[in-house]
Amino acid sequence: MVRRAVVSFAVLALVYGLVAELAGPLLPRRIWQGTHYVEDVELLPRYASLAEEAVFLVRAEILQGSLVVSGARLLAGVLLGTLAGVALGLAMARARRLEYLAEPWVAFFRFTPAFALLPLYVLWFGAGEASKVLLIATAVAIVTQQGAFDGARAVPPLYLDAAAALGAPPRLVRRRVVLPAALPHLVTSLRIAVALAWVTLVVAEMIAPEMPSLGYLLTLSSVYPRVPSIVIALATIGALVLVSDALVLAAYHRATRWMRRRHDDR
Amino acid sequence: MPQRLIFGLASVLALLALYTVAATAYGRPGVLPPTTALATTFASLVTGRAPAAGAGHPHPADHLGFLLHEQATLPGALAVSTGRVLFGVGVGGALGVLLGFAMGWRPALDAYLHPVYVLVRSIPPLALITYLMLWLGHGEAHLLVPVVYAVLTTVVIPTYHGTRDVADVYVRAARALGAGPGLLLSRVVLPAVSPAMLSGLRYAVVVAWMTTVGAEMLMAGDGVGRLVVGGGLWSSRHTVGVDPAVVIVAIVALATVGWLMDRAARAAANRLTAWTRGRPRW
Repeated sequence: MVRRAVVSFAVLALVYGLVAELAGPLLPRRIWQGTHYVEDVELLPRYASLAEEAVFLVRAEILQGSLVVSGARLLAGVLLGTLAGVALGLAMARARRLEYLAEPWVAFFRFTPAFALLPLYVLWFGAGEASKVLLIATAVAIVTQQGAFDGARAVPPLYLDAAAALGAPPRLVRRRVVLPAALPHLVTSLRIAVALAWVTLVVAEMIAPEMPSLGYLLTLSSVYPRVPSIVIALATIGALVLVSDALVLAAYHRATRWMRRRHDDR
Repeated sequence: MPQRLIFGLASVLALLALYTVAATAYGRPGVLPPTTALATTFASLVTGRAPAAGAGHPHPADHLGFLLHEQATLPGALAVSTGRVLFGVGVGGALGVLLGFAMGWRPALDAYLHPVYVLVRSIPPLALITYLMLWLGHGEAHLLVPVVYAVLTTVVIPTYHGTRDVADVYVRAARALGAGPGLLLSRVVLPAVSPAMLSGLRYAVVVAWMTTVGAEMLMAGDGVGRLVVGGGLWSSRHTVGVDPAVVIVAIVALATVGWLMDRAARAAANRLTAWTRGRPRW
């Protein structure tokens, strides 16, 4: 499995390098940008220019700066959104009246593309940090609410009966039975939410740009246009999405170690 | 069920009343538009005519005025965006189903393609849009490609799991009973995969709406996303002050259309997979 993955990555990298070297010079370097021509565009950057650009972006501390700023925004938004979403989801799963009351609004926000809220948030919370973090939090809260609600509703009645038969007080049941049993659903939704948070973050940074950030790096480098920078920014965002997904998964495996039976340990 | 309906209605009405009171008390229609302003904005966005003077819209909205000048109406914008969403779901859904099916069916293909798929999926579709514009120019294509891409990457996984995990038992049974490849595909595998595939497509509709609106906010000259920001990033970038009434009306319209499409998708999926729930016994 791993060997085949390495083979396919190697083939992909090799093919790209060859195509960029061979077909790159054949592609037009003068591009019509809607209102004007731009000169000297490298549509498929060669490895040499990618490396050169990466060194420049790191030396000028643009890449690190953008990483830190965007990463902090994402973390704040995901934490805030998860707290709100999980609290609401669990409360809705427990209290039927609350569920009925909140249902229409949850459905409303589920079908609202989060980006469309950005102009409102900018108007209400200012163009700075708050509007972006709250936008991410909104997107995350909608998804994690669903996960927490489904998870808490899907707790096997057998567990609850067993806990009740053993005389566990409600607080203990909630902490030691409901929460762990809801965790798989919750984490599945958190994985979707984190991927969604990255999309929301990048688009928010492209629509309401502010230096330094990954979205702005993308926007700025496509205005000039500086294709190696675009490619590096895209690759960075992709790598960050992969890493954050792996982190969520690792946390999940740690948190559910008690659940695993022996035949699962491969 | 009636209790559910009553509580839901009560909650919607209560929050609307609360909003009306709060917006009126706050008294700044440029930030928190009163309910009457929302109604007049909605009316003029639907009819394409400016609100009559003194019709309770005290904020001479340049956002609204700009849209009306451009002859952008809400139904027109919704039609354009819905077209893009449907194109994305159609093309991206078909490609994604094919890819997921191929990966689920052939383990060797899966071993080589899955890592590449994970890598590709990690790049947010909307982040690609600036790079795509260099290749495809400023037109319809570079708006549609991110939507197709987003739907494709969403649909692959459920189809893949459906093919790999669910169909296997049935396939072995059918093979043992002597079914040929054609019969196997049409009567066993496709029906077995369809529930997972259709639920994936349902989620893909939501993703397609999100991507379409985002792409339109960034680049388009029409559609609901453009309605919300009042100008594209690369097209005629007017410094239009955002009118919250327009944004709220557009969001409510988006949520309604998205909900309707999801209902339709769910109804279609239920109809197509009715066999999974068994036949009524009477």
